[in-house]
Amino acid sequence: MYLKLKERANIPKLEKSKKYNTMKSKKINDYFWGYLMILPTVGGLTIFYIYPFFKTLFYSFTDLGTFGEYSIVGISNYIRLFSDTEVWMSLKNTLMFTIISVPISIFLSIVVATLLNSKIKGLTIYRTLYFLPAVTMPAAIAMVWKWLYNYDYGLINYILSKFGIEKIYWVSDPKIALYSIIAISVWSSVGYNMVIFLAGIQNISSTYYEAAAIDGANSINQFFKITIPLLTPTIFFVMVMSLIGAFQVFDYIFMIIGTSNPALKNTQSVVYLFYRSAFELGEKGYASAIAIMLFVIIMLITIVQLKLQKKWVNY
Amino acid sequence: MKSKKILYLLLVLILLSTFLSGCRTKDTSSDQSQKDKNKIATLSYAVWDKNQEPVMRKLAEEFEKTHPNVKIKVQLTPFRQYWTKLETEANGENVPDVFWIQGPRFQKYAKAKLLMPLTDRIKKDNIDLNNYPQSLIDLYTYKNDIYAIPKDWDTTALWYNKKIFDDAKVPYPTDSWTWDDLRAAAKKLTDKSKGIYGIAAPQEDQQGYYNTIPQCGGFIISEDGTTSGYDKPESIEGIKCWIDLIKDGSSPTSKQLADTQPSNLFESGKLAMVFQGSWMIPEFTKNEYLKDKVDLVVMPKIKKRVAVIHGLGNAIYSKTKHPDEAWEFVKYLGSKEANEIVAKSGVVIPAYKSVLQIFIDANKGYNVKAYVDELEYSYMYPHSVDTAKWNQIELKYFTQVWNFQMSPEDACKKIAEEMNEVLRNEKK
Amino acid sequence: MKKDVHKFKLNYSKILVHLILILGVIFTITPFLWMILTSFKTLTESTMIPPIIIPKRFCFENYKDAVSTLPFLTFYKNTIISTIAKTVGQVILCSMAAYSFARIEFPGRDIIFILILSVLMVPGQIFLLPQYIIIKKLGLLNTIGALILPGLFSAFGTFLLRQFFMTIPKELEEAAILDGCNHFRIYWNIMMPLAKPGLTALAIFTALWSWNDLLWPLIVNTSNEKMTLSAGLASLQGQHLTNFPVLMAGSVLAIWPMIVLYIIFQKSFVEGIALTGTKG
Repeated sequence: MYLKLKERANIPKLEKSKKYNTMKSKKINDYFWGYLMILPTVGGLTIFYIYPFFKTLFYSFTDLGTFGEYSIVGISNYIRLFSDTEVWMSLKNTLMFTIISVPISIFLSIVVATLLNSKIKGLTIYRTLYFLPAVTMPAAIAMVWKWLYNYDYGLINYILSKFGIEKIYWVSDPKIALYSIIAISVWSSVGYNMVIFLAGIQNISSTYYEAAAIDGANSINQFFKITIPLLTPTIFFVMVMSLIGAFQVFDYIFMIIGTSNPALKNTQSVVYLFYRSAFELGEKGYASAIAIMLFVIIMLITIVQLKLQKKWVNY
Repeated sequence: MKSKKILYLLLVLILLSTFLSGCRTKDTSSDQSQKDKNKIATLSYAVWDKNQEPVMRKLAEEFEKTHPNVKIKVQLTPFRQYWTKLETEANGENVPDVFWIQGPRFQKYAKAKLLMPLTDRIKKDNIDLNNYPQSLIDLYTYKNDIYAIPKDWDTTALWYNKKIFDDAKVPYPTDSWTWDDLRAAAKKLTDKSKGIYGIAAPQEDQQGYYNTIPQCGGFIISEDGTTSGYDKPESIEGIKCWIDLIKDGSSPTSKQLADTQPSNLFESGKLAMVFQGSWMIPEFTKNEYLKDKVDLVVMPKIKKRVAVIHGLGNAIYSKTKHPDEAWEFVKYLGSKEANEIVAKSGVVIPAYKSVLQIFIDANKGYNVKAYVDELEYSYMYPHSVDTAKWNQIELKYFTQVWNFQMSPEDACKKIAEEMNEVLRNEKK
Repeated sequence: MKKDVHKFKLNYSKILVHLILILGVIFTITPFLWMILTSFKTLTESTMIPPIIIPKRFCFENYKDAVSTLPFLTFYKNTIISTIAKTVGQVILCSMAAYSFARIEFPGRDIIFILILSVLMVPGQIFLLPQYIIIKKLGLLNTIGALILPGLFSAFGTFLLRQFFMTIPKELEEAAILDGCNHFRIYWNIMMPLAKPGLTALAIFTALWSWNDLLWPLIVNTSNEKMTLSAGLASLQGQHLTNFPVLMAGSVLAIWPMIVLYIIFQKSFVEGIALTGTKG
């Protein structure tokens, strides 16, 4: 298939370029390849993701229940959204989670990735150890952390007590629980992001560093003057993805904060609320409206980022 | 270059094999329809409890022995994903032929016509429903039709740690205890210097206020399922009695209990007494630390003796391709013979009344009879079509009560208001 | 003389680097140590207060239990097949689309790209039901194909690789364009080798997601013969009770192949340095 494609496209193109060599034929050629190369991915995404997305958009105007029965209710789901205090609370929690966890995680991952790019011994071991959280199933992670956070016999409170610090309700104090979840999220995402940053750092040509070293720049200077600026496309990518991921935070909250936990109100995220509405309460129409609301928010933030990227991302 | 070509080839091969394997399954399914003509029916049986899976497989095997024309496939899905899966399958009209159902979801499934009504078949095959607890038959009846045969049941009893009682020189709980006895004993047993509490007062329904509310003379939902009973003063009493235990300092706070479950505290010897459902029997009796130190009694009496009972049922998918075979299987699962096998496993209390003695004998050394004794005054687990919706309301307000952010009176009033609203919408 | 000073400074900073890294490692692996220790405890030991940190006797029963109650070999097989298929498929399909989005200009490019990005912005759970119905219509329920198919297409992967392609200097292709190479050849012969670190990163991510994916395998597949590791492990969690030591043992058994895979893949990172180092 690969060969055939090549032949089919190659021969007419070569002839054309010989005969006319105009911009027009290049354009047509570009269009052909442009569309052909995105076709499989765009086709698959359309069937499995974009079409379901539009279906959800439709359902957000219905009262779809558990078993597929529905009638159209206009915008009443959206009106309900605005007056639902739980929605506002969950938005606030999600926003807090995002604003705190994303910058910390990105900063730490860049630092770790940079350090792991230096020529020191034991790199393989370090890289593997830092990667461990990423390979572990969320269910197992949640359980282990629940243990570490436990008030009565958790390791963290045990260590704190050695320093004479009073025990803390890490996951059931409404004022603290969200930060505890943020810590888990940072812990599990540093390994992830590190992989991307490591790949990005290694894309930076070593000649830059050699030139800088000749100019006498120290490693901290090199980090800020070379690594960071040249890494901006990667940082941009990680930031966009992390923000999207953070706005959809669900797993750890779902598994750690039980339904009768006093901190539920202060930790419940938008997707948690969506999940409860769709799968526990069987209000799939309303849940669709929540999903669409979240989509619009993320969309706006992403567009802002795409617009702003020209100001700080170096391609 | 070579390696890339190999990679490419590999992809094509994998994709091909994917679609081929897809085709193959299609073939087998058409094979199956061929076999259908030869009268071999394959039934899928969906369950969610890992601990019960071996017993369910055994039952399936026993059934296959006497019914060579039927094959049973037991499908285990963890509880958290079970309902999501079932609902997705229901939308695709591809639900397992036979599956477990629980009280809070039952009416919703019956109303959506996902369950096959069994009343006529029960009559035709002369099945005596008196073999099962009446409250469970009521639980699985919707608009005069019964939709599931009870499989098992559970009630709640008071477990206690004899060692803690001995150390504090407090006499063990008895059948004749009242709530006041419990409260007084819990106070005496609490020893904060050792981190020991007399009892746990968690925010729980089946193991908690669903028992105490009717014990005080209140109710959760009226018998006709139209109104909430939370605004009754008796119902409020049934909430207060738990809060009192926390105020006394005889129970850990709700924050602490959110961190460490009562059963966990009990297992590590930090709780003298705990209310636990009958599903905990194997857990406690197998625990090496606990097994020689614990026993249980019926729940203490408040104004009267009441216990909430819940049980699972075996239901049949209304659109199953093999309704007769599925019914035969469900009938077998509800038979005395099958219930005996369940009883011997000691994992759950079987629904069939006359085999209960086998279950009691299977747990020698412990007074598991307490659970059975409560059967006599048990009442049906409160539910309606949208049980999940008002369960969320209960949760929302009671969390505030348990954390002293709202008085029980205010919370119960709010719950009653919002719950009545849900119940009114159900009838629409 | 100058050289010596430089060397000394380097060693000093190396120690600092090690110190920081070790501190991070402690933070990172403590939960794992706890997990591994728990997998060797008896059920009773695991519920004690205060906790028993090191079990009295390392008991392997939990591992035996996990292996005997779940068909691990089948799980490994299914998980590996679906992971490889998804990874190879995504790397090829996404890189192709990403090249097109990054390098070729065609009408509607940005709109299509934004449409793809928008897929990432909705909670994944909404795709569950429509995807299930498509798989059912294709007759793929209860097959490995059902596990793989929706995972072959990735908006994330396309976005990731597009960003990577954009960091690669255009000069390299210009020569090829002048030579009359078509886009597919530029993509395959020039971009792919250059984008190795990015492709590796995507491969790792896809593998990870596939490995840890829980809900989808549970929904489309019913029998253990077609189940994956994480979905199979989830069945160890009961409604009321969970045997934590067995679950932890199962988790340990599920993690190690990914760690081995990662160690193998690391090498291609190093190769990536060599490539960009010489050509860039």
